[in-house]
Amino acid sequence: MIGSYLTWLALRAAGRALRTAAKVTAAAAAAVAAAPATIVAVYAYVLAWLLGWPPRRLRRAAAWCLPMVAVFLAAQALRTRRWGDTWREPFGSWRQMWRLAASGSIGAGLAGVAPVAIPAGLLIGWLAWSYRVFAMETGTGGLTASSPITFDLRQWRHQVRTARARIAAPGAVPLLGRRGDIVAGAVIRAVQHPMRDVARVPYQRLRSHQVVIGTTGTGKTTLLLRLWAGFVAAAWQRFAAGSGGRPLLVVLDCKGGADSRRVADRVRRVLRAAGAQATAIWPDEASLSLWQLPPDQLTTTLLALIEQGTGAAAYYADIMEAVVSLAVLAPCGPPADSAAFLSRLDGGWLATAHAADPVALEAVRSSARQIADVALRYRALFRRLGTGLDGPGSFDDADVWYCILEGTAETAVAEAQAMALVELLAWHAARPGGHARGHGTDGTVRQDTTSTVRQDAEILLAVDEFSAVSRRVSIWKLYERARSLGLAVQVSAQSWQGLAPTEDDRYRIAGTADGGFWLLRTPYPEPVCDLAGSRRMVDTTRRLLGWWLWRSDGYSRAHYTRVVDADIVRSLDVGQAAYIYRGGVSYVQVKRVVAGPPALPGPAHVLPRPPAAPAQPGAPPPGAPGPPPDAGPLLDEVFGP
Amino acid sequence: MSAPGARRPPAAAASTTTLTRRDIAGLVFTAEMYGVQLDQLATVLSVSEQSARAAAARWRARGYADTARLGPGGPWCWLTRAGLTACGLHYTFAPPALSRLAHLRAVVAIRLALQASDTYLTAAAHWRSERELRARIGKVGAREHIPDGEVAWPDTANVPYAGECWAIEAELTAKTASRTVSIMRELLTRTGDYGCPAAERLRPSAPPLHARALYLCSSAARPTVLRARDALGPALGARIEVRGLPPGAHLEMPP
Repeated sequence: MIGSYLTWLALRAAGRALRTAAKVTAAAAAAVAAAPATIVAVYAYVLAWLLGWPPRRLRRAAAWCLPMVAVFLAAQALRTRRWGDTWREPFGSWRQMWRLAASGSIGAGLAGVAPVAIPAGLLIGWLAWSYRVFAMETGTGGLTASSPITFDLRQWRHQVRTARARIAAPGAVPLLGRRGDIVAGAVIRAVQHPMRDVARVPYQRLRSHQVVIGTTGTGKTTLLLRLWAGFVAAAWQRFAAGSGGRPLLVVLDCKGGADSRRVADRVRRVLRAAGAQATAIWPDEASLSLWQLPPDQLTTTLLALIEQGTGAAAYYADIMEAVVSLAVLAPCGPPADSAAFLSRLDGGWLATAHAADPVALEAVRSSARQIADVALRYRALFRRLGTGLDGPGSFDDADVWYCILEGTAETAVAEAQAMALVELLAWHAARPGGHARGHGTDGTVRQDTTSTVRQDAEILLAVDEFSAVSRRVSIWKLYERARSLGLAVQVSAQSWQGLAPTEDDRYRIAGTADGGFWLLRTPYPEPVCDLAGSRRMVDTTRRLLGWWLWRSDGYSRAHYTRVVDADIVRSLDVGQAAYIYRGGVSYVQVKRVVAGPPALPGPAHVLPRPPAAPAQPGAPPPGAPGPPPDAGPLLDEVFGP
Repeated sequence: MSAPGARRPPAAAASTTTLTRRDIAGLVFTAEMYGVQLDQLATVLSVSEQSARAAAARWRARGYADTARLGPGGPWCWLTRAGLTACGLHYTFAPPALSRLAHLRAVVAIRLALQASDTYLTAAAHWRSERELRARIGKVGAREHIPDGEVAWPDTANVPYAGECWAIEAELTAKTASRTVSIMRELLTRTGDYGCPAAERLRPSAPPLHARALYLCSSAARPTVLRARDALGPALGARIEVRGLPPGAHLEMPP
């Protein structure tokens, strides 16, 4: 009995071995018979594996070969004059190849069959590679249970290598695409996004709000520089073509220190190459005037600059509000600078100025004892703020404003500066048509005929290291009203927690970032990964028989998995970023923008520059000449008037 | 072998005649402008129309040119492949297209009118033809608009517009105003030379290639061109000059 069983086992094993041998022999024979296509298929498969290509890329390559096949078939049909037998030509070429190979003309044989063998090989390579990827994605491929994980990690390395090679190739990653899209770098991998060679961000997304999160040393500045340069270049192109307003980029660097100055210099050189003529570095080289705000807004801003208490301190807040209102809304007009404002914080001055208004005069008398305290607080504030907000100058004076706020050394000062700058920019973006209303140095209101209207200006406010000022600057409030002002906001922080002091505010900022998220390496990407959404995946116990055939026994269960893999984000290398937009993610190897050489030492850049031209469609780009010299005499002489 | 003293056929005689400097200038001019009518060729060569006809016959005998009566008016002369090669010009060979005869004549007339002026001669200005610009671009930039010609004024010229480059446009028939505006804007905002990399075509910080555009219009096209200039706005519109076509620009139509 046992002997019979053992014999049966041996026979069964022999039968299986024979069947396998027959299969292998048949496959080998087919591979040898279709040798040219086999060689192309193997080459395509290995190439796709080495470069981490998605399978569809091989399919696309095969499709691009179809015109070659059509031309080959047409040429054969023309040669033989037998149109009905055209479909046989590939087989004829194949037979001819072997005949030529047998006679020693291997090269001629391969050349004859190449128009058919190349697309066929690519198709076979595509099928084989897509099957491999499919098997690994479903966890049914590989020799060991952990093979799919190993495969994915290896493919990531291959994809990174390919992306790095692409950004290293000269001219492969231009700053702008053909349609004016901003090219951030080379795509490493895409999930729920189309897989392209380079990551193109449409210009309109930079006109929406964006959030950038990445710790120090992960390439955040490089990414931001690329986005800013792309914005400037694309916006100037649109402006020159008459399809967009004049661009203005305002960067609030809330870190401060020597490092910010180095970045500012790099920004100036990069953006000059991108088309920005003048870059103002605030407060080192240029200043702005807080006092050009309308009186009501100026009062609100001045009050917001001083930190108020709660509870009993609310009483003093009311007193301060009354005193500041009296000083700013005096009948002679608002103050022209901080010195004028401080000089008004005096009981005698306020009483004289409001002598004709009994109600205001009563308010002056009531708050007379606190006026000196209010003046003291503002004197301290203006001393700490410096002269950067005392003018002269406005956002019209440069194409790019790089504002350095000492957020690391003096957080309270940086917060106040950021508040003032944001208010100034919001007012600048929302200015009504006609001549802007200004205030003379004598405190009188005047019509400023040199200011220009930027109603359709395209403004990008980039706030770098936002955590330094996030305690007092409610950027999300600006987010919500920015769209109607033509103002886009880009906030960058080192971490999710750096976006805002409270979780509600963080989600508010994240929830309005309709231009997408840029995630660089960060230890806690989970909230953003959650916001990016999920995709449906299937877990199954069914067995894959081969070539997309599954056994019917077993069960499958659909579940949702995050689109953005938090572990990939945590392990991103320097210069790699995940761009999250509309439920998909593209992992990008960011291309560094090379700055031009530093400027030669010479006279400092003097601001303000001449007022910018009105942002009218069709206005000439910067650098365009004014009206050309008169050529009338020549033209009249040659062509008549 | 012909006997000594025997008369050679005229064609053979012409083929051995040395080309004069005037012939060479005429050949190059003809090549640059796609083709010219004999009356205009006479102006180019500063000879009578009969002598121009003889010059064209000499060129034809050498295989450098071809002549034919293509449309209304006098015969046209254009260079053959051999003629283009002899002139060292790498243009694509094509006889003047029938649909463009009127336009070609107008552009030649504009060039001749400009070249006849003392200012042009003393300033040593340079004309760059549409054919030359098209040859620089190749087939890659086929979607770019190419002006009918360019006039470059040397930096050293004693004229107010020294150093400028003008785009020349001959307008015989009215296009739509929006299309004309688009062409004008493209001409005036372009920064890179024809054939430059795409990224340099419109660099905001670079000065424009064309300081102004000169539109020479027929009476039919003039209103549209003026309307388009107004629509451009004052900044760009100030760089558009509009004038009428010079005498002799119109193709002679049969009665």
